[in-house]
Amino acid sequence: MSAPAFGMHLADVVPFNLPSIDYRLIAPILILMGAGLLSVLVEAFIPRRGRRPVQLIVVFVALLAAFAMVLAAAGSRAVTAEGSIAIDGPGLLLQGTLLLVALLAAMLMAERMVDPSGDAFAPRASTLPGSEDERQFTQRGYLQTEIWPLFCFSVSGMLLFVVSNDLLIMFVALEIMSLPLYLLAGMARRRRLLSQEAAMKYFLLGALSSAFFLYGSALLYGFSGSIDLPVIADQITAKPSQSWLLMIGAAFVLIGLLFKVGAVPFHQWVPDVYQGSPTPVTGFMAATVKIAAFGALLRVLYVALGGLQWDWAPMLWIIAILTMVVGSVIAITQTDIKRMLAYSSIAQAGFILVGVVAATREGLASALFYLIAYAFTTIGAFAVIAMARDSSGEATHLSRWAGLGRKSPIVATAFTIFMLALAGIPLTSGFIAKFSVFTAAIAAGDTWLVIVAVLASLVAAFFYLRVVVLMFFAEPGPETATVAVPSVFTTVALAAGATVTVVLGVVPQPVLEMVANADVFIR
Amino acid sequence: MSEGINLGETIVFWVCAGLATLGALGLVLSRKAVHSALWMALTMINLAILYVANSAPFLGMVQVIVYTGAVMMLFLFVLMVVGVDASDSLIETIKGQRAAGVLLGLALGVLMVWGIGSALAGVAPAGLERANEIDGGNVQGIARMIFTDYLVAFEATSALLITAAMGAMVLAHRERWAARPTQEQLSKARFLSGEHPGNKPSPGIYARHNAVDTPALLPDGTPSELSVPRPLRARGDVRPVDHADMTEIAEIEEVDAT
Amino acid sequence: MNPANYIVLSAVLFSIGAIGVLVRRNAIVVFMCVELMLNAANLAFVAFARMNGNLDGQVVAFFVMVVAAAEVVVGLAIIVQIFRTRRSASIDEPNLLKY
Repeated sequence: MSAPAFGMHLADVVPFNLPSIDYRLIAPILILMGAGLLSVLVEAFIPRRGRRPVQLIVVFVALLAAFAMVLAAAGSRAVTAEGSIAIDGPGLLLQGTLLLVALLAAMLMAERMVDPSGDAFAPRASTLPGSEDERQFTQRGYLQTEIWPLFCFSVSGMLLFVVSNDLLIMFVALEIMSLPLYLLAGMARRRRLLSQEAAMKYFLLGALSSAFFLYGSALLYGFSGSIDLPVIADQITAKPSQSWLLMIGAAFVLIGLLFKVGAVPFHQWVPDVYQGSPTPVTGFMAATVKIAAFGALLRVLYVALGGLQWDWAPMLWIIAILTMVVGSVIAITQTDIKRMLAYSSIAQAGFILVGVVAATREGLASALFYLIAYAFTTIGAFAVIAMARDSSGEATHLSRWAGLGRKSPIVATAFTIFMLALAGIPLTSGFIAKFSVFTAAIAAGDTWLVIVAVLASLVAAFFYLRVVVLMFFAEPGPETATVAVPSVFTTVALAAGATVTVVLGVVPQPVLEMVANADVFIR
Repeated sequence: MSEGINLGETIVFWVCAGLATLGALGLVLSRKAVHSALWMALTMINLAILYVANSAPFLGMVQVIVYTGAVMMLFLFVLMVVGVDASDSLIETIKGQRAAGVLLGLALGVLMVWGIGSALAGVAPAGLERANEIDGGNVQGIARMIFTDYLVAFEATSALLITAAMGAMVLAHRERWAARPTQEQLSKARFLSGEHPGNKPSPGIYARHNAVDTPALLPDGTPSELSVPRPLRARGDVRPVDHADMTEIAEIEEVDAT
Repeated sequence: MNPANYIVLSAVLFSIGAIGVLVRRNAIVVFMCVELMLNAANLAFVAFARMNGNLDGQVVAFFVMVVAAAEVVVGLAIIVQIFRTRRSASIDEPNLLKY
């Protein structure tokens, strides 16, 4: 190996060509990253009292601007940034959904009315729980406005995750999405030790999953000589003999992504993290991480590993069944509403996997529709949970929800809509979503899988409806939680969640057409 | 042009591979977290040598600077902050979990080693001479790729670094809600509390050694608890006082008294 | 010597790390085991780069180091925070999360 001194051989060296990047297409990602940087500067230079309004303006303007850029890019199909980013139908659709859901989540995070002492986050996360410092900061009305830059970076990571076209950028995006979430999970105002334990658990298992993803990527790189998803796909077709490198590599990459999705047996972190995190953050990650992780999972499966379908389909078959059954059955035994929704989200991941396993255009479209429906319903459900309170914080034990329907009929009705949607009852988005996923799976020949899925959704319907019965058919007692009167933020988020849930259930056609048009990944 | 593996590299590989594996085993098997961290550092240094042997001199250096230099030092620093005595309890929360974990891990290892070994048997490396020649060297080649093919990933990592700085600040930076107490206030508070207004006795006074774990001896020859740092006392690492010393001091005291 | 030995070594290190994650209970040690797994992946990338004859693997390994450094900062901040809380006397609800 020759080691030329610096400056030698300059004439022999290939000239440096600027990479071609279509900035218009990656504008949503850049806007959110810029917003993150801007809000770091806001933290540094704006006096403490003025930070919150400025941060909110930055965040909401950025989300709306990014959404406008996604709309402007609608219909584009291009691979840009030297092959590392693929803008296509599913990618743009998921980006748009992510931005809208993040908008609702930001509203929940901005809520200051339901908790008499401030928002859902600790006034200063660095204070010890129960210490004099914490009391003083609470009294003085301090707010941890650093949540906003973290939020912006996390959303930008998600936007990048669903359009990443090589394994490196996917890994980087995965981390950009996750690191802020680990931090946000540990910053709850109430029950802080629970929240901190949740953050630690989330972090350790998240880091473990990215290690698996990375090692899998290494093996796929060893197999194909490239980390570009399309090149990996070409190599799979070019090398007819199936190598162990490919098999183990693909399995590890999928394990890493299934961790993020929360599929059984990689679901252990979900209940604890959902329960411990501040409720707005739980709603945020329950909805958006699922979208982002499924987006990446679908891209890896359809673009890179399409040629291996006969190998991964049986594995995902088993995982889908396990996920649906374990999620639904364990959810029945839960007495905490946040834990129950955590197991429910596991079960929902199983139903989405049914659409993924179908591995057809209809399967992809139905999975996309399911993700959209699920995200809006979930964010609405967590908005309600954030409102049901007592003097010590949120009242999450199921017994505290008995008779809530008599006390606050409007909020309870909204929650009923969400429960019905998650259970898959007709006239809600959940029904259409389940129906289209099951149809696609039957068309692909997975009849047995659908039978299991139907049975699992019957079991799941039991615990969703149990909450509804508890709210409306039990007498309110002294133990019943009170529903705090929220500000316009939560009201809008709740109304939007409920509206989308009903509209997608009654007139799903426009969105169904949209997903049907967006059902092909670019190669 | 394929790159053969010469005897020198073979020797380097076996030595470093052995040491790296030893470090990894030490990491998992040590009961004390600090020992684990040191074993880990051993593994990382050996990995750096293996990178250099694998025609990745740049990465070898980065590995030493970033991993052994920054990351491992951060780990050690945090271990010191948290308390060095933070060792694992041997009680299993779930019975048989440890055995199951080992079995699962071993199965994974056997599958991976066997699968990868069989997949790669007889594959000749292409070597990096040609790839390095394009830009006139390894570092130049990596630089070109970072700023062309992987530019977006490179820019995106800035978000990660800012997040990390932000996170560390949010969780660890302690703000004040009142003005910082002045030296005068502090000293008054110290006297008002009625406990030890001055310095605590230094370790080792009147004793045979002046190591931090050696307690100072009081005039009557008994060791002074206050002179040994609290963590050492908590861990039971206080050096026992030689009994002969104590009687000797007591005798001197008596002589002085008479 | 077969160049695949590097990959086999990385597989061994990865498995040792995985066993550590499953077996150890101390959060910091578990985290170090995860770091070991990331290092194993890096070694695989570097060795594959040489076998494939392109520099992509080395670039990925470089990025992984950057990402891991950021991850370590966040992770250790969370761990320090929780250790401080546990050590303080004012723990209201000990051992909250069920296993």
